[in-house]
Amino acid sequence: MTTASVEAPVVVRAQGVSKRFVIRKEKSLKERIVNFGRSNLHKEDFWALRDVTLDIEAGTTIGLVGANGSGKSTLLKVIGGIIQANEGTLERRGRMAALLELGAGFHPDLTGRENVFLNAAILGLSQKQTEQYFDSIVDFSEIRDFIDTQVKFYSSGMYVRLAFAIAVHVDPDILLVDEVLAVGDEPFQRKCMAKIEEFQREGRTIIFVSHSAEQIQSLCDRVVVLSHGKVVYDGPTDEGIDALRASFEGR
Amino acid sequence: MSVAQERAQRLAALPFERIGRPVSGGGGGFIAGMKEIAAHRELLGLLVRRELKQRYKDSALGFLWSLIRPLTMLLIYYVAIGQFLGAARGIPQFAIFVFAGLTLWGLYSEIITAGTTSIVSNAGLIKKVYLPREIFPLASVGSALFNFGVQMIVLVGATVVLGQFPLSWNLLYVPAATLIILIYGLALAILLSALNVYLRDVQYLVEVALLIFFWASPIVYSWSFVLEAAERSDLPWLGDVYIASPISTAILAFQKGIWAAGSQDVVMGTNEQTGEPIIAAAQPWPADLDLRLLLMGLIGILLLAIAQRVFSRLQGNFAQEI
Repeated sequence: MTTASVEAPVVVRAQGVSKRFVIRKEKSLKERIVNFGRSNLHKEDFWALRDVTLDIEAGTTIGLVGANGSGKSTLLKVIGGIIQANEGTLERRGRMAALLELGAGFHPDLTGRENVFLNAAILGLSQKQTEQYFDSIVDFSEIRDFIDTQVKFYSSGMYVRLAFAIAVHVDPDILLVDEVLAVGDEPFQRKCMAKIEEFQREGRTIIFVSHSAEQIQSLCDRVVVLSHGKVVYDGPTDEGIDALRASFEGR
Repeated sequence: MSVAQERAQRLAALPFERIGRPVSGGGGGFIAGMKEIAAHRELLGLLVRRELKQRYKDSALGFLWSLIRPLTMLLIYYVAIGQFLGAARGIPQFAIFVFAGLTLWGLYSEIITAGTTSIVSNAGLIKKVYLPREIFPLASVGSALFNFGVQMIVLVGATVVLGQFPLSWNLLYVPAATLIILIYGLALAILLSALNVYLRDVQYLVEVALLIFFWASPIVYSWSFVLEAAERSDLPWLGDVYIASPISTAILAFQKGIWAAGSQDVVMGTNEQTGEPIIAAAQPWPADLDLRLLLMGLIGILLLAIAQRVFSRLQGNFAQEI
């Protein structure tokens, strides 16, 4: 979905990005003192990402795929700045919105309206912009009758509808999505997909993690297959799906 | 030109931003951090409101509770320490004195308790969205300031009703002392909130430490008691050690500002046998209070910068450690 006449600029540039996780198994002071000196035995060290280098051009929809634990979500979080890489550099330009979990900033005791403002601010909208988009957000979510109810009384469907509606109104250049593309009932799912296609037409970059080969095939124009933290394939979608299947067999 | 092409052109003109803060130190990081916070000030306001709302959710009296607690404490200390233990005999306008100390202490302890747990209790957000993480301890400061404001209104109201409104230049000590408390409170909140992610014991340790510091500050007894005790025990340096705590100094300055009766000789009653008036002499204030406040403010700002650097170093791993 790249634009024809203008050369698409690179919006995300990762160079040799590596991420090491150290997982300690005990947390309290007592346990630390008791295990002092032996504490290395209680550490687990593994590389979630190893030397990942890739450029992402504006307007592409790129799918990050791989088996569980292959590092795709970690890569998404590093791109989002939520976790820092140990090695390598990551550069980015343009406004970014991360949809790693719908309604991550929702507070159950606040009303839908208050949560719209809070969540929009978390995703980077100003108060004024939120006021501007407010009606459009509520219309998209189709829960106008409940907008002044505390969200703890919402059904899970209403919750994700509102969260998704906010997220798509943030006007990002880069959208990071982790398995949350299709939510709610079928008509709403269609609406979500239509919105994503609109995003693609508008030249927004979408980076998403998914296990659904079908979704990847219908949306992406580029696929990156990860295995054990390394990029094993980077290219067009159809071969990407084959490479993903191969990586499943190879592990 | 299509929307997509316009976007591509605009993006091509933007410079690349390095994601993930440089871990190495230096003043630039501090200033960059402050800039990032300034860019998110609207969100900060919303987070403060959220914190205030969730605290008294579904309660009939709502934020009145933020007044009931300190007023109850005032009553307890007034009766138990003031009357039963007799501290009020040497301290004129004992109620104003105690409430002044409690109000400022309340600000400090609330900033630190709420600030310490602020990162851990916002785990859901920190794992899923990138925000400058200093915003969470800052939001605790905001909601503590709100409660402080409400108590200040009561305190000032009380001085007016009792005819004790401190109309003098000493009043300037009130904002100065509040500022000192804010600087130290924020520095500790930022530092402890980061440490608490790695070692949850910090939040319990903080509770104990605050209890000790409450009694180590001139809140329910006056500074003159400390000086007398130091003289009696032949340890004249005890007063200097006591006053070295920025919290003690700030509370003393605050009292000097708002508690007018402390700066003058006050007739406390008459001696029944001789008929002579019993006079409580003006309270002793530490020498060079202005200079002390200034120095402590500067040290506090330095501490704040260090705390922010430590926070910045630790925050890279928050998302995976929580």
